[in-house]
Amino acid sequence: MRRTTIVVIGLSLVLTAAVTIAAGVGPYRIPPGDVIAAIAARLAGEDGDPNIATVLFRVRLPRIAAAIAVGAALSGAGAAYQNIFRNPLVSPDILGVSAGAGFGAVIGILLGLPVVVIEALGFIGGASSVILVAAVARMLPDRGNVLVLVLAGVVVGSLASAAISFVKIIADPYEQLPMITYWLLGSLSGVRLSDVLVVGPTVVVGLVPLFLLRWRIGVLSLGDDDARALGIDVGRTRVWVIGAATLVTAAVVAISGVIGWVGLMVPHMARLVVGPRFDRLLPAAILMGAIFMVVVDTLARTLARIEIPIGILTALVGGAIFVWLLSRTRLGGWRQP
Amino acid sequence: MSTRLRFEHVTIGNGGRPLVDGIDFDVAAGSVTCVIGPNGVGKTTLFRTLLGLVPPIAGRILLDDRDVATLRRTAIARRIALVPQSYQGDPGHAALDVVIMGRTARIGLFGGPVRQDEVAARRALDDVGMADLAGRPVGLLSGGQRQLVLIARALAQQAEIVVMDEPAASLDVGHRIALLRRVRAMAASGLTLFVSTHEPEQAFEVADRVAVLGPGARFEIGTAEDILTAERLSTLYATDLRLERTVSGRRVLVPAAPGHASLAERGSDAGPVPAGARPTAPMHLKKELET
Amino acid sequence: MSTSTLRRSAGLFAQLATVLALAVGLAVPAAARMVVDSSGRHVEVPDAVHRVFAAGPPAAVLLYVVAPKTLVGWPRAPRADDLPFLLPGVRDQPELGRLTGRGDTINTERLMASHPDIIIDFGTLDDTYRSLADRIQAQTGIPYLLIDGRFGNTPAALRLLGDILGVSDRAETLARAAETAFAQVDQVLAKVPATERPRIYLARGIDGLETGSRGSINTEILERVGGVNVVEGVRDAGGIAKVSPEQVITWAPDTIVTIDPKLVELLRQRPEWRPVPAVAERRIFLVPQRPFGSIDYPPSVNRLIGLPILLHLLYPQRVTSDVHAEVRTFYRLFYQVDVSNDVIDDLLGAGR
Repeated sequence: MRRTTIVVIGLSLVLTAAVTIAAGVGPYRIPPGDVIAAIAARLAGEDGDPNIATVLFRVRLPRIAAAIAVGAALSGAGAAYQNIFRNPLVSPDILGVSAGAGFGAVIGILLGLPVVVIEALGFIGGASSVILVAAVARMLPDRGNVLVLVLAGVVVGSLASAAISFVKIIADPYEQLPMITYWLLGSLSGVRLSDVLVVGPTVVVGLVPLFLLRWRIGVLSLGDDDARALGIDVGRTRVWVIGAATLVTAAVVAISGVIGWVGLMVPHMARLVVGPRFDRLLPAAILMGAIFMVVVDTLARTLARIEIPIGILTALVGGAIFVWLLSRTRLGGWRQP
Repeated sequence: MSTRLRFEHVTIGNGGRPLVDGIDFDVAAGSVTCVIGPNGVGKTTLFRTLLGLVPPIAGRILLDDRDVATLRRTAIARRIALVPQSYQGDPGHAALDVVIMGRTARIGLFGGPVRQDEVAARRALDDVGMADLAGRPVGLLSGGQRQLVLIARALAQQAEIVVMDEPAASLDVGHRIALLRRVRAMAASGLTLFVSTHEPEQAFEVADRVAVLGPGARFEIGTAEDILTAERLSTLYATDLRLERTVSGRRVLVPAAPGHASLAERGSDAGPVPAGARPTAPMHLKKELET
Repeated sequence: MSTSTLRRSAGLFAQLATVLALAVGLAVPAAARMVVDSSGRHVEVPDAVHRVFAAGPPAAVLLYVVAPKTLVGWPRAPRADDLPFLLPGVRDQPELGRLTGRGDTINTERLMASHPDIIIDFGTLDDTYRSLADRIQAQTGIPYLLIDGRFGNTPAALRLLGDILGVSDRAETLARAAETAFAQVDQVLAKVPATERPRIYLARGIDGLETGSRGSINTEILERVGGVNVVEGVRDAGGIAKVSPEQVITWAPDTIVTIDPKLVELLRQRPEWRPVPAVAERRIFLVPQRPFGSIDYPPSVNRLIGLPILLHLLYPQRVTSDVHAEVRTFYRLFYQVDVSNDVIDDLLGAGR
């Protein structure tokens, strides 16, 4: 059996174990037996203990599903971006998707709109900032160059950040500002089943092009001229990757808020295990991202009596792991795009 | 494999700015064409135009009577392979994986490499004598070994035309000789080759024809004997040069003014070239200084 | 329990200190008086104060209730829905921005252009705010006074401001009303055994998952009326916290309090809130949020009206007074507006 196959099976088992443990722990104590009983009752179409059923099926499991979606999306998108931008320090935020989503959501909070609308605005903000980046990059003379795209991303991202800061100062300091702060720190505490039912399928749909084009995306890591000479339509492939990555990132950021580090760090972890070949890296990164987020979110909801915003934990855990990774991998040979 | 490749009144250029015009010649299958010319004259641009990476400013390049500029990327990649000057990709890739990437044009849009692709890649690595290093990350290989991996990648691509952009540029003497031997072997196996070089002497050893991209946008092509005259080379490189024959009959290019020969003996560690010595710096040193 | 007792006695001490300091301040003779503010800073104040800049929303409310005409502008303009509950002329004052708290939104020139005689801040007294006050005062030459914003200090704060502004009579009336409200709370609580104290969750934010943890200024009033804030934070001096439905279910509050009518609907509808006893027993209480919130929004004098209302909601058997009358009196006395019974019903979410 190929090494990658073994790794994928192994990671799937770890994810299953993580989900099982995560489903069993939480502030609301449900003994393992009751968890199984509740799931059995559910499958049998019976009611069981209503409180346990609500906690399990309305709160905990949707949240675990959301964590899986967030981790898979950010890590998959991050791996693809690191590959097409040929830079290890790239994360899914590089084209301004998080800042844009943040701006959309923060406007929604400022206007006092319902949660669903805020989430939708987050998604729209994230997607449109990437579209704006692409448009800006197209207007520039050196449009074929990925560096132009990255620079346009930096510009649009900082514009969106400035806009967020502006909203922060005009927002109500007692009601809206805490909400904005929490949103920007990222959290899955308010995730509902209905969110997962929309975002889960979106993430799956968005990851499909990455899977289908896995080999071609990998060849892009050779550089544009080489990849073209090997038969790849670089521009079109890149558009598909950016489109798919933006779709999944904007979708998860809309329900989770801004969560940093995952999309940057997890692909590096996966690289350490399966190597840089993208067709092997992608499944490993997606699974590891899902595991990482399930673990971190479980910590976020159990470490203290109140929620710890997940962005704080990912930065803390992610930063530490990243330094450890740097001490183990050779980044020296990476070239700038 | 009877390829018909034809350049028809082609003008090459970058970003709409013409570099060389009047490129007009037929290429025989199984032939080796050496491309020489000073830095920045457009050798790489000529190759990029041939590969369809940049459009010609005028004229067209016909591959079996079809304009290369209108062919799809995979269609070109199945016919023409590129050996770039150097490897610019992720240094973490194993040599074998880089060679497998040569198979891309033969892998479906949504597919990945299959067993057959890996077999072809291993055979290509074996052909260049790199079978032992298949699993080693490219970043840990020497410059010469990396060049061999790129050649293996082109072989795995199974294209009948191989374009090599200054393949010897970063190689030491031993590897350079091995490389020329490899070029001859590839030509012997029926491949049509384009090789650009900074060392015109190499053309005598491998080229069926030599194409010169000169300053003032001049293009000339002919046999090495016809083209590589001391006068032409001296004009081309703006330096007084002389062609001499060694005892074995090999032709070498030397500076015409003997007074400056000592500089060459000091080798490439010579450091900054004294201002007066610059025009006559020997070829390999000149290359070192300008790359 | 012991911490809150401690805090109360600390508050008492601060009150005493203020009164003493005031006595000293009053002894200074006169074209410009010397006043000692709650932080012990000696500030020279003009005899007649006509224009006051409120450094933040809590100070604006304090000023509004004591001497509305002196307010030169709002740190944050009242929203359209708040306007009927505010005096014409005052409610239309421009939004000037805030000077303290989370980032200034007014620049010094604009502050000076509004020509205030003094600047008042009402809230936390710590070295940060003290140094900020010193700095602005040195820079602008405008006297800057800090008033202790703790809830228990409300009567003293009212009197101090009344004295500074030369409206001691009105301030005294308000301070007495405040003392009465606190006294009523103490009387009722004296009769409520510890076992009957409600376990309260304060629902804030867009989905009700934002709250204040125990010891925070946002939930101070809930603890003052004998409630147990179910949200235990990571530290004693709590703050705003974000929680998950699972935690709320685990804490099992029997009462939920909010100032947002939309949340009342939302929490009743959402299935994940159903296991919460307060939701199941339909004990989600709405308290007035107009013109200012009665829990924490902002944490100022406006919280006083929360006291009688919460007493009625939490201990209906033990409080006999008429809540409508109390609300009407408070609005008339403090905000100087008349509210009809229908409006009061609406503020209290009656019939929801």
